[in-house]
Amino acid sequence: MARSLVGRIVVVAFAGVVLGVAVPAGAQVRLTFDKHPSLQVHKLFTVDLKANTQTDFRDFPQETGTAPKDVFDLHRVRVGIEGTFLTRFDYQVERELHDSTQPWRDVYVDARVLPGLELRGGHFKIPFSLDQQTGSMDLDFNYRSLAGTYLAPGRDVGVMAHGHLLNDVVRYQAGVFRQGGDNARASERTDPQTDRTFAGRLLVKPWDGSKTHRALRTLAAGVAFTDGALPAGPNGLRGKTVPGDSFFEHLYVNGRRQRIGAELQWRPSSFGVQGEVMRARDQRFGQGIEDDNLPDAVARGWYVSSTWLVTGERKNDSVEPARPFLTHGIGAVEIAGRVEQLRLSSDSPRGNGFSSPRSAWIAPRADNVWSAGVNWYLNNYIKLQAHVIREQRTLDGRAIPGQARLWSRILRLQFGF
Amino acid sequence: MLLLLAFCASGARVAAQSSVASVDSLLDGSALNDVWIHINARDWEDLHTHYPDDTYYPVDFEWQGVKVRNSGIRVRGNATRVDHKPSLRIDFNHYVDGQDLSGLKAIVINNSWHDPSFLRDDLSMLLFRTIGIPAPRQAHARLYVGPNREYAGVYVISEEVSKTFLTANFGEDNGYLYEFHHQDGETYGFQDPGPDLAWYIPRFGPKTHDTESVAALYMPIRNLVQAVNDAPQSDLQARLSDYLDVNTFITELAVQNFLAQTDGLVGGVGMNNFYLYRFANKRVSMLIPWDQDNSFSMMDMPPSWNMNTNVLAGKIWDEPKYRNAYLSKLLDIADLVGRGGFEQEAAREYAQIRDAVYQDPLTPYSRDDFDQATALVRQFARERGSVIRQYVATLAPELLNGRSQSLSLRGR
Repeated sequence: MARSLVGRIVVVAFAGVVLGVAVPAGAQVRLTFDKHPSLQVHKLFTVDLKANTQTDFRDFPQETGTAPKDVFDLHRVRVGIEGTFLTRFDYQVERELHDSTQPWRDVYVDARVLPGLELRGGHFKIPFSLDQQTGSMDLDFNYRSLAGTYLAPGRDVGVMAHGHLLNDVVRYQAGVFRQGGDNARASERTDPQTDRTFAGRLLVKPWDGSKTHRALRTLAAGVAFTDGALPAGPNGLRGKTVPGDSFFEHLYVNGRRQRIGAELQWRPSSFGVQGEVMRARDQRFGQGIEDDNLPDAVARGWYVSSTWLVTGERKNDSVEPARPFLTHGIGAVEIAGRVEQLRLSSDSPRGNGFSSPRSAWIAPRADNVWSAGVNWYLNNYIKLQAHVIREQRTLDGRAIPGQARLWSRILRLQFGF
Repeated sequence: MLLLLAFCASGARVAAQSSVASVDSLLDGSALNDVWIHINARDWEDLHTHYPDDTYYPVDFEWQGVKVRNSGIRVRGNATRVDHKPSLRIDFNHYVDGQDLSGLKAIVINNSWHDPSFLRDDLSMLLFRTIGIPAPRQAHARLYVGPNREYAGVYVISEEVSKTFLTANFGEDNGYLYEFHHQDGETYGFQDPGPDLAWYIPRFGPKTHDTESVAALYMPIRNLVQAVNDAPQSDLQARLSDYLDVNTFITELAVQNFLAQTDGLVGGVGMNNFYLYRFANKRVSMLIPWDQDNSFSMMDMPPSWNMNTNVLAGKIWDEPKYRNAYLSKLLDIADLVGRGGFEQEAAREYAQIRDAVYQDPLTPYSRDDFDQATALVRQFARERGSVIRQYVATLAPELLNGRSQSLSLRGR
């Protein structure tokens, strides 16, 4: 249903663009290729064509009870267009060719309504988690943080107000979405009891544009929340490892799912640091074996990461090498490291914890991860990432035998324009 | 004499009353068990709605005040898999590693859907055990469900064939255990399917060593099947001694024929309802009976019934010395049953479960169906021995020498 709805949004959006900006005779048409092919028709509309791929060579530990993973993984093959029409509207349409179940990614239209107020409608990321909001091509690591991946809601169909206030010191996003995002379990999304999710994110950059505190200009801190209905069933948040295997199964939940998160980012120069902490709480009304209410299920996650561009470029979302490889130099080289944890349990577990999905007290299971590696930006289009990851899984604070030290290695070749 | 002692001992054990909440008293049939499944109402509804699936749901299992928390329950069975009154399997260690009920990792709770008497499977297993063939222990239970303790009818609790069972019966659990899966439309009876090991995979589901290679799992079964096919019928015992104890197989055939089991080793659909166990560090295997609820079906089933549908049973029947061994075993069973203990046990169990069955809200059978079916079981226990003796008198009268008194005393 979500697929067809997003598909309809695509059709309607394009029809609107075509009908709304019927090109007058003699209009100036320009085709350029700067970072990507771009078509501009006078000031009526622009179309930028985008495409990118990520190819991984992976070495994951073989764990008992898990399916073996292919060494070669075509991780992403994405195409899309974005642009502007009638000067007030921005749009984006993006499709993942490697995903047949949920191929549509960002499909939305943004309208600049007033200074400091834009309205977005369509299928896009629910505003929660800095890491989740970061584009897949701009990640400093081979994979998002576990918290950003499994605790954030992902994309859904909705409307959102967003904008910048007070000279960009304050940035806000507030929206309502049809369901709880595409990270939710399929059974939750198709349940007739499922309902809207509300989300908000507030980001403050107190020294943005400051001339006296230049080093603090990029310091940003934010908070975010989501609140949505959670249909009864085995729809609890699941914990997964870096290779994607489950280490904490879905619990039976019923009520509401509420997330809160806090984020911090600082990129003073070629050095950057950021971190997040987030918590998701699922209610479990009537989900006990005796139809009794159970303590909430709680998932917590955090990470701290740091990067340093040793070739001296300024750290931004998209790193542009000052001296591209084979033309003026070696490209941009960056060292990156991250430590993180994803931990799931019932609220205030006590006594002997169980793993039954209807247990009152569920012992906490956690995945503690260290990642380190090198990112090599050859030019504006090609990036190589070589990373080493160490995982340690724990049950009730103690390392699980055989899972105390698991090493993974991933080499990623990324190409995009 | 040994058989008599064994049956008497078994009967005494069955009749014993125990107030101790041990697994023996759950399975010895001495009393009608009350089992309480604590399960979320939505799960109980889903379990019925999705009864063809093997989805597990969390439950607390309670019996005699002992509660095994966070167990897993799912629907089980093939022909008896129904939504109205599903057969169930409870795994005590599904969610909690190592959890058990006095050593039992799991139990099976059968709905007796095809048996209006509720007695056939239980009495068949009792006879197997009495005659010396390891078979699952079974007992009746009233099942209660949910926080309001709603009565869900009479069920037959069965021990599962598992490592616990192997240890209790063979003193080891590290051999290779397989559950035979009958394939629809097929009547398989030890015929050699050829060298391809893949043929065996869907038919013999490994219950132990399940992560081992196909060759390690199935080459010994293929060798067994080939040996059965290659062995001359005159020398079965010696030629198969590395793979199968022919005397044990003959005993199993005799028990099933005596009980007129139509869905067993020489059943109407070929071999069915058994586990295969290959002993640790050996090539020799044994068949363990399972699901015997199609027994007591024909009072006049002849000893030769369906023997020619199975390669090994056919050779046994066609070779006089093995046929006589088979008929002698049938006479042993007839003598054992003819002493009355079997009929008395059927009557005792009937009295034990009668009121509970009368009140069973989910059984598809009426009170009259139940009463008539149990009466037939008791009649079968009383008269089947005479029928067997008459058949043997026709086929091999010399085997009745020394048993003539028994024959003359028990006319049909």
